Amino acid sequence: MIEIKGLNKYFPGRGRSEPVQALRDVDLTIRDNEFLTILGPSGCGKTTLLRNIAGLVPWDTGEILVDSQPVRGPSPERAMVFQNFALLPWSTVLANVAIGLEIRGEPRGPREAKARELIERVGLSGFEDRLPGELSGGMQQRVGLARALAVDPSVLLMDEPFGALDEQTRRLLQEELLRIWEQTPKTVVFITHSMEEAVLLGDRIVLMSARPGQVDDIIEVPLARPRSQHINELGESPEFASITTHLWTRLRSMQVLNT
Amino acid sequence: MSSAEGPALNIDRLLDSRWFLRALAFAAFALVWQVYATAAGGFFVPTFTETAAAIGRQLASPEVWQAFATSNIAMVLGFGLAVVIGIPLGFLMGRFRLAERAINPYLNILLVTPLAGIIPLLMMSLGIGLASRVIVVWSFAIVMVVVNTRAGVRQVDRSLIDMVRLFGAGELGVWRRVILPGSLPAVLAGVRVALGRAVTGMVIVELVMVSVGIGGLILRYQAFFRFAELYGMVVLIILEALILLAIVDWVQRKATPWASMTSIRD
Amino acid sequence: MTTSRGSKAVVQTTEAITGTQPVRRRARLRGWERAVGPVSLLAGAIAWEAIGQALDVSVFPPLSAVLGRLGELLADGTILGYLATSVTNLAIGFAVALVFGLTLGVLMGVYRRVEMALDIYVRAMLTAPSLVFAPIFFTLFGLDRITIVGVIVLYSTFIIVLNTAEAVKTAPRSLVEMARCYGAGDRFVLRRVILPSATPLIMAGVRLGAGRAVKGMINGEMFVAVVGLGGVVMTAGRNFDAETVLAVMTLIIVLAFMVVWLVERLDRRLTAWLPETNRA
Repeated sequence: MIEIKGLNKYFPGRGRSEPVQALRDVDLTIRDNEFLTILGPSGCGKTTLLRNIAGLVPWDTGEILVDSQPVRGPSPERAMVFQNFALLPWSTVLANVAIGLEIRGEPRGPREAKARELIERVGLSGFEDRLPGELSGGMQQRVGLARALAVDPSVLLMDEPFGALDEQTRRLLQEELLRIWEQTPKTVVFITHSMEEAVLLGDRIVLMSARPGQVDDIIEVPLARPRSQHINELGESPEFASITTHLWTRLRSMQVLNT
Repeated sequence: MSSAEGPALNIDRLLDSRWFLRALAFAAFALVWQVYATAAGGFFVPTFTETAAAIGRQLASPEVWQAFATSNIAMVLGFGLAVVIGIPLGFLMGRFRLAERAINPYLNILLVTPLAGIIPLLMMSLGIGLASRVIVVWSFAIVMVVVNTRAGVRQVDRSLIDMVRLFGAGELGVWRRVILPGSLPAVLAGVRVALGRAVTGMVIVELVMVSVGIGGLILRYQAFFRFAELYGMVVLIILEALILLAIVDWVQRKATPWASMTSIRD
Repeated sequence: MTTSRGSKAVVQTTEAITGTQPVRRRARLRGWERAVGPVSLLAGAIAWEAIGQALDVSVFPPLSAVLGRLGELLADGTILGYLATSVTNLAIGFAVALVFGLTLGVLMGVYRRVEMALDIYVRAMLTAPSLVFAPIFFTLFGLDRITIVGVIVLYSTFIIVLNTAEAVKTAPRSLVEMARCYGAGDRFVLRRVILPSATPLIMAGVRLGAGRAVKGMINGEMFVAVVGLGGVVMTAGRNFDAETVLAVMTLIIVLAFMVVWLVERLDRRLTAWLPETNRA
């Protein structure tokens, strides 16, 4: 369980100007094995929040507990999938997937065995010795996903992982992610700016508003699980339609306030 | 993990100031120099303070200013000719592939060759007059002007050229509206590098062959064991190079404020 | 062809200056266009020969005479000793420049305060005409090898420092963050993320540094005037022996191209992962 209590984060202002508040009083509890999506307009601090959970950047006041332990820095327990893939361009797919294990000090044999297993699970068998530059964007993000899963994290942090992909690839990877998550459940915190994606993937949607970033609403998604087999039908269901309409109304009112 | 920062210590603030750190580095350098020269330098190494005093004297000395004038006449002429000839040549090579293919092998040879090697030949054919020195400076500088101008023309965004074409511009319009302004940052960068090389050429020719001007003065200080003046002259020459380049930098910033000024130059 | 690479290094620095990333479509050359370069070189050679023959003055010997002289120098072995001296100077000087340049560059790239303290001085030394230090070295070390090695080091170190510092500083933050996210420490980040990603730009600096080292070698030797190939050029120049000057210059040019070629091979090996289109 991840508990976020009274989180505030400021960025120093430029020059003499006042510090900018990035997050204000964020309270949020994320249940074990929950698929939580975070949706909000740009500048709402959703990525900052994710990086706080990852332990990559400090915050100012409040606390984040993972299984009752305070977050003090990065941990392989919380693996991250990046929007720009963040693959080492000079390393093979195999070495990229194995890097988390390498950092942990695992010997070559076991870590490569584990990496091969994950490469197969994301459907990239046969590409072990390729370099990232030789792969399409969708394949690169599969590598990113395999890399995160390879360290057996209990929490998967995903920062708009499919944001840089085209529509079809994105849909395929959504299915893939759901399938893997259904087979081996773990807590997923998934940032997106796509309403559709937030609804189709999430158990709950955290809606954030901007300036300063704060939790605006938390919405339960009533769609049944497992969903990986019929994402398309779900996308046409009345539940989906009503929930996206609701989200759009909220988001639009935020945008209007902001412009 | 939460970072509640107390009031920053003064020393920390100082250590974040660029100018303080630079001054610190300079002071450390001067101190090491002074201590070494005093303790172990002997006759051949003047101390920092002796050198500073020598520089003071040199700045007041007509002989030194005369030497700088003599050297810089050759530098200015050679550099000017390099710019005037090099820029059109670079444009030609950047725009016309045939010209580029024909000139390119020679350019590459000039880029790699230690040009100082031609100095003895110039001495033989033209003697030790102004012409030899001008040609050396010119040959040091021109390659950089050409290469950078050519690169500037090539990196002009093709879609901008297509755009003005679609609005009906001919070759002249393409040059005036896109290629000239588009390549200006690179051209000026080339001019800047070329100026550095021109100063180098000026110094080399005087140190190696024609003992006039500042190079000649250095050699005289060396011969007469006036080591403080020798060191002072080295500092003054470097200062001249830096001042000239600062001027070009200023022109660059005024002329092409849109070009991001990053770092690496040769 | 090595010649085209020589210019690329400089073009690369130009790109760094203007901050643009030209996506250059390499137009396919027709056969005869490919021949323009060699034909132009050949034409130059013929012109040199013809003018040399026609002028018949000692300062402008025809190409054949120069090549003949080079053959003689190589055949009777006189030049080889000087060549060996020069190459040794070059190797020592460049090695010192590499160690010094890479170390200082990495320090400046990693530690912001080191960079803030030293950057203007490194830049100043890069733009300064390095040969002015030759008289100082000469007063300290005389005819010793150190004088020339010192000049070579001054010629080539600072471009390596600057490129390395810039390369390390601009290593992609996202990759560093990724490694941190998986719990990597400073050493792992430096070894597996920062240094590999910095390699292409570092090697560009090393390439420029190698070219400058050759120039430093010749200029230093010409200043000292009695050792190495530079010494031969000076002696021949004093004797109005243009054939020897040009013959030795030819040898120096070949040497320079070989050094650049070697560094490029190393570069290609170290950065084999770079997609071909990203090569400058």
